[in-house]
Amino acid sequence: MAAAAVASTARWGRVRAGVMEAARLRCQRGGSRLGRLSVLPSAAGDVAQWRHVAHFTFHPDPENRQYGQTQKMNLFQSITSALDNSLAKDPTAVIFGEDVAFGGVFRCTVGLRDKYGKDRVFNTPLCEQGIVGFGIGVAVNGATAIAEIQFADYIFPAFDQIVNEAAKYRYRSGDLFNCGGLTIRAPWGCVGHGALYHSQCPEAFFAHCPGIKIVVPRSPFQAKGLLLSCIEDKNPCIFFEPKILYRAAVEQVPVEPYYIPLSQAEVLQEGSDVTLVAWGTQVHVIREVASMAQEKLGVSCEVIDLKTILPWDIDTVCKSVAKTGRLMISHEAPLTGGFASEISSTVQV
Amino acid sequence: MRKMLAIVSRVLTGASQKPAGRVLLAARNFANDASFDIKKCDVHRLEDEPPTTAVLTREEGLKYYKIMQTVRRMELKADQLYKQKIIRGFCHLYDGQEACCMGLEAGINPTDHVITAYRAHGFTYTRGLPVREILAELTGRRGGCAKGKGGSMHMYAKNFYGGNGIVGAQVPLGAGIALACKYNGKDEICLTLYGDGAANQGQIFEAYNMAALWKLPCIFICENNRYGMGTSVERAAASTDYYKRGDFIPGIRVDGMDVLCVREATKFAAAYCRSGKGPMLMELQTYRYHGHSMSDPGVSYRTREEIQEVRSKSDPIMLLKDRMVNNNLASVEELKEIDVEVRKEIEDAAQFATADPEPPLEELGYHIYSREPPFEVRGANQWIKYKSVS
Repeated sequence: MAAAAVASTARWGRVRAGVMEAARLRCQRGGSRLGRLSVLPSAAGDVAQWRHVAHFTFHPDPENRQYGQTQKMNLFQSITSALDNSLAKDPTAVIFGEDVAFGGVFRCTVGLRDKYGKDRVFNTPLCEQGIVGFGIGVAVNGATAIAEIQFADYIFPAFDQIVNEAAKYRYRSGDLFNCGGLTIRAPWGCVGHGALYHSQCPEAFFAHCPGIKIVVPRSPFQAKGLLLSCIEDKNPCIFFEPKILYRAAVEQVPVEPYYIPLSQAEVLQEGSDVTLVAWGTQVHVIREVASMAQEKLGVSCEVIDLKTILPWDIDTVCKSVAKTGRLMISHEAPLTGGFASEISSTVQV
Repeated sequence: MRKMLAIVSRVLTGASQKPAGRVLLAARNFANDASFDIKKCDVHRLEDEPPTTAVLTREEGLKYYKIMQTVRRMELKADQLYKQKIIRGFCHLYDGQEACCMGLEAGINPTDHVITAYRAHGFTYTRGLPVREILAELTGRRGGCAKGKGGSMHMYAKNFYGGNGIVGAQVPLGAGIALACKYNGKDEICLTLYGDGAANQGQIFEAYNMAALWKLPCIFICENNRYGMGTSVERAAASTDYYKRGDFIPGIRVDGMDVLCVREATKFAAAYCRSGKGPMLMELQTYRYHGHSMSDPGVSYRTREEIQEVRSKSDPIMLLKDRMVNNNLASVEELKEIDVEVRKEIEDAAQFATADPEPPLEELGYHIYSREPPFEVRGANQWIKYKSVS
């Protein structure tokens, strides 16, 4: 867990130690579904010396019946459902990327080509810069472009297209043109065996760029609603899907389309002592930490899922910190220049 | 009856005397070398062509056979270890393509440079690393060539720059290495390899342009195994004549299943580059038996019949073996002995790779920067610090 701490009262010292202790206990508990637990205790027995394969418990939300009939879906199925709804509703919507035709390497586009035709769901060659550039062109011309980058780690050849072309199109043309119809989807985050190039979380690189929106869901129900909102949104959006949740996260998800608003963080659990903020997979980790902290140390944590990284919901986070007085942010990406630094510096001001 | 008994007993005693048998084999007259017809290469923008005959000496033949068999068995052992979950993560196997790495190595000098993508185990071996270090790197142990920190896709050796995970990213690097070769003036060249999938990446064309403009001694080699992960070449490329894709760069299309064809073409291309005429493009038409990686069964986008056909008609090791045996360069028994030797070497290496300890946790932060003295790196939270030594 990366962390940025705020305020340093004596009580904060205890709370901080407490939450870290809870995290250490959680790591110790082990119970990995996702690989061997290989643990090397050092002579010092410090938490730094514990090594473990990624493990966490997915916390499903209670079934939401306000959008009609629901069905049990995991994350990739909820994505497929969202894309299905999109293509059904919007005749200009097209999906493209590497290997999406047969269903995608994570099965997010299974069945769509058969249902909507090969002119709407098609493969591109291996060229990320080309995929995004092409997607911008499709969107500028008024169609809805849903581009897939096979792994977020491969998004960097397209970085120029996203930052320089997509993000600034509306501004530089004085609102004459825009590529708001573009949504880029990419599997994101650690999965346990991904190593350097199948585990990255690049949201911080893109957060530095005005003109785009970045969204990271924590669960299938959230994913479908947020993805549909991204596709509807009149700005280019990047939608990062935590790949470790594709199969691991199973929830009841409405079959019909529904929209979860962007740029609104959600308070998952009210608390009074410390605010914990995370997004994507980490939300489940901090939920566990929050319950352990309450159980073992009597610390009451307020848990917030940020959901939209850019533009992020400053009000909800600041209101929460004003109440609790302490903030801890946790994300998978490297600490230096990670999005936690943006949140913590804004909150401190 | 007695005569038959005598014959039978003689045969039986003969069979038990192995050393005598071996002496008999050595005494047998093998040819020193033989000349073979090899497939003509298609060329693009070239007046000359690589030769259509190749001479293979007995010594060379045995060497190529042993190396290719080692690569084959090493990849199959890696497959086995992966299924036993001793190797984790990503593993892209090279079996079927052995003639490419062997032929290329035979056509260049050890002082020349090679860079390739992630299907790199074969090249790591032909560039000089022992099997045990390769397998130990796959299992992530400290005896591995990258100290257990690189894994399957990041293996390096002297004059071998890996081992690169991002598709196509190694090609501009290869052009840069070629620039250094030209600058240093030591008559070295660089082989820059990529696959049929990577051939559609934009940065490759940027590298072509730079190499041709500055006449860099770079051989761009497209290992066309017909499938970019699960996409066949017809569905990915507007032009599947990969040897022509360099446009202004001359190209050759080579039968990548025949080690002699690859070797002759490489010698031809290397001579061209060394003479200062600029880069050349080689397309090696080859095939991989395994899927793209260990998580790909390899049969959802191609038929088992196709794989079987290639195995039975164009297997590179089989082709070499048949040539050698039919032209009296070696005997079947001799090659079988080599097989046994290779198997033993691989077994030992696998033993080592399984038993070697993992790198210690203290080394997690090493080699991030080059910095003296050692400094501290933050771990997963600000109270965990790793020492970074370089």
